[in-house]
Amino acid sequence: MTKVQIYDKAMCCSTGVCGPQVDPALAKFAADLDWLKSQGHDVARFNLAQAPAEFASNAHVQKMLAEEGVECLPLVIVDDRVVSRSEYPSRENLAMWTGTVMKPKATLPMASDSGCCGGNSGCC
Amino acid sequence: MQFLNHPTRNLFFTGKGGVGKTSMACASAVQLADRGLRVLLVSTDPASNLDEVLGTPLAGEPTPIESVPNLFAMNLDPEVAAHEYRERMVGPYRGVLPDAAVRSMEEQFSGSCTLEIAAFDEFAKLLGDKQATSQFDHVVFDTAPTGHTLRLLTLPSAWTGYIDNNTTGTSCLGPLAGLQAQTLIYKQTVAALADADCTTLVLVTRPEPSAFREAARTSRELQELGVHNQHLIVNGVFKSQTPTDEIATAMSRRGDEAVAAMPAELAGLERSTVPLACSGLMGVDSLRRVGQTETSHSPAPLATRSHADFPAGLDSLMDELAAVGHGVILAMGKGGVGKTTVAAAVAVALAERGFDVHLSTTDPAAHVSATIAADELAGLSVGRIDPAQETADYTAEVMQTAGKDLDAEGKALLEEDLRSPCTEEIAVFRAFARAVSEGANRFVVLDTAPTGHTILLLDSALAYHREVTRQASQIPESVEKLLPRLRDPDFTRVLVVTLPEATPVHEAARLQQDLRRAEIEPFAWVINQSLAPLDVTDPTLRQRQHHELPFIQEVESTLATRVALVPWQNEPPTGLAGLRRIISAPSSLTH
Repeated sequence: MTKVQIYDKAMCCSTGVCGPQVDPALAKFAADLDWLKSQGHDVARFNLAQAPAEFASNAHVQKMLAEEGVECLPLVIVDDRVVSRSEYPSRENLAMWTGTVMKPKATLPMASDSGCCGGNSGCC
Repeated sequence: MQFLNHPTRNLFFTGKGGVGKTSMACASAVQLADRGLRVLLVSTDPASNLDEVLGTPLAGEPTPIESVPNLFAMNLDPEVAAHEYRERMVGPYRGVLPDAAVRSMEEQFSGSCTLEIAAFDEFAKLLGDKQATSQFDHVVFDTAPTGHTLRLLTLPSAWTGYIDNNTTGTSCLGPLAGLQAQTLIYKQTVAALADADCTTLVLVTRPEPSAFREAARTSRELQELGVHNQHLIVNGVFKSQTPTDEIATAMSRRGDEAVAAMPAELAGLERSTVPLACSGLMGVDSLRRVGQTETSHSPAPLATRSHADFPAGLDSLMDELAAVGHGVILAMGKGGVGKTTVAAAVAVALAERGFDVHLSTTDPAAHVSATIAADELAGLSVGRIDPAQETADYTAEVMQTAGKDLDAEGKALLEEDLRSPCTEEIAVFRAFARAVSEGANRFVVLDTAPTGHTILLLDSALAYHREVTRQASQIPESVEKLLPRLRDPDFTRVLVVTLPEATPVHEAARLQQDLRRAEIEPFAWVINQSLAPLDVTDPTLRQRQHHELPFIQEVESTLATRVALVPWQNEPPTGLAGLRRIISAPSSLTH
């Protein structure tokens, strides 16, 4: 079992349904994490607005925030190693980092750095 | 007021802005306190005028009202509550997390949800937590205008349901996340509202069809939430004492007709009828008399203005409104002031000048749509923004686009998030943006719009969105262009609609401030249903006329650059003929 931690930007929902337009990449990433969890991994996702304590208590995250600002988010940390920053990785990458075998199915993965209902979206 | 014979611990007054719910709540609180009971009166209205009515400056905690022993009153200010809430969430991380991260958190906690949640949180403390109010025998809530209150009341169910059903822990709870520990209090709040031995919901309305419709909707929605102990106050019922006064007779008749035709769900409720007061209810003495048989009229003071002095009618605005040849006209204002009627009248007048006009209304009864369609006017089309329909369409669209490539689990997750309370707000916002975009080649007249506050939030949301995505194409063009269009005085004209009374004028002034913060300057104010320019002899109506004058004056001198005044109508302003009468100058309507 691998420990996977995601540190998100300040936003209100992980699928992005509350922005002016739903970002497919966010919906997809939420689904990918759900899948990763179903494969037996320890997945934890933290949102800056809702779980700032998690950001403050992780030295890696603190350092990256101090050096690069919030642009480094989302950060993906696998077993205490930063494997991805500023973008939502694909299911393939998540599988690779955690040594998970994927069933041969799959639609084309799309990486994106787009955000969702952060800021004053007026929704959440 | 029969509900005062066996009063429950909590009395909850709701209704549209301007129906007199603050007066009714105050009157009830004063009358209970006069019996020696300890009473706490609470306003959750962001534009509370409780201070004004009671003649005592109030704060965020119970303040004794000197002239009424046993009565305490307080205002729950949602802005203050939101600020405190934001500080509670963000404050501990100042100097702990880098500044940029703290700023980003602050931004996320500036949304309208935070305001709602903070206001609700305050309210839940009083209603759900008996300890907080244990030293009082009764708590009287003078709530915010209906839509807002409903949201406050609906949210706990939505939230508790949401938290219960959310198995994945990735939900769209937004700022609520910080309050999950309080769900127990929210549950108790809902339970207290639904407990007939504990809470009475008092629906306040005026004897007018639109106010009855709104009250019926509130009643129905609250019944669905389990709030069954409801009482109806029909406030401002007028009986003409002067058969020779045509206007007084017509007003009596219109009120009687509205009462006779009230929706079935209201007709079944226990009801109190409160006569039309000669003037606004201000001060404790007048509150003590509410609901008691009265009223000896003092001699009616003479109106101090001649007819010629009053602002011109809506027709005075039409040339300027028509000049651009296309664009959006928004009738904005609080519920019950006649936005739909003003919007429909302007749409008719533009169509009759030969323009292509689309009238889009949120009027749930589709009343305007029906009356105009029956008459059929060339060049005018009528549409409707239906929140339920918009939400269903939006959900389906998201599932087909963002949900397209997801597996079954992913689809389920997305569907779950789409059930969040945010979705309807966004769906309606998009429908509004779409309607506005149609003003590029013709006239679009809308009877409602998001508040300036929402528009302001959109601005920062778009800026933020652009910054993080760097691909503006993700946002629908209609949303992207919405704010520039609303700010363009040659594209959008906002008509602020109000009544010549204290609460509606002050609420409209607040709305205007919100709009200005979003850099939208209202084009004109419309003072609707004014008795002032009419020839009346009935003593009550004479006093009402006199009572209107300072508010007309206030709008003219301090609030508006252009003012149109629409007189009270003998006949309900429906159908083409009725709407044409609205446009005519007041002088042509006096007898």
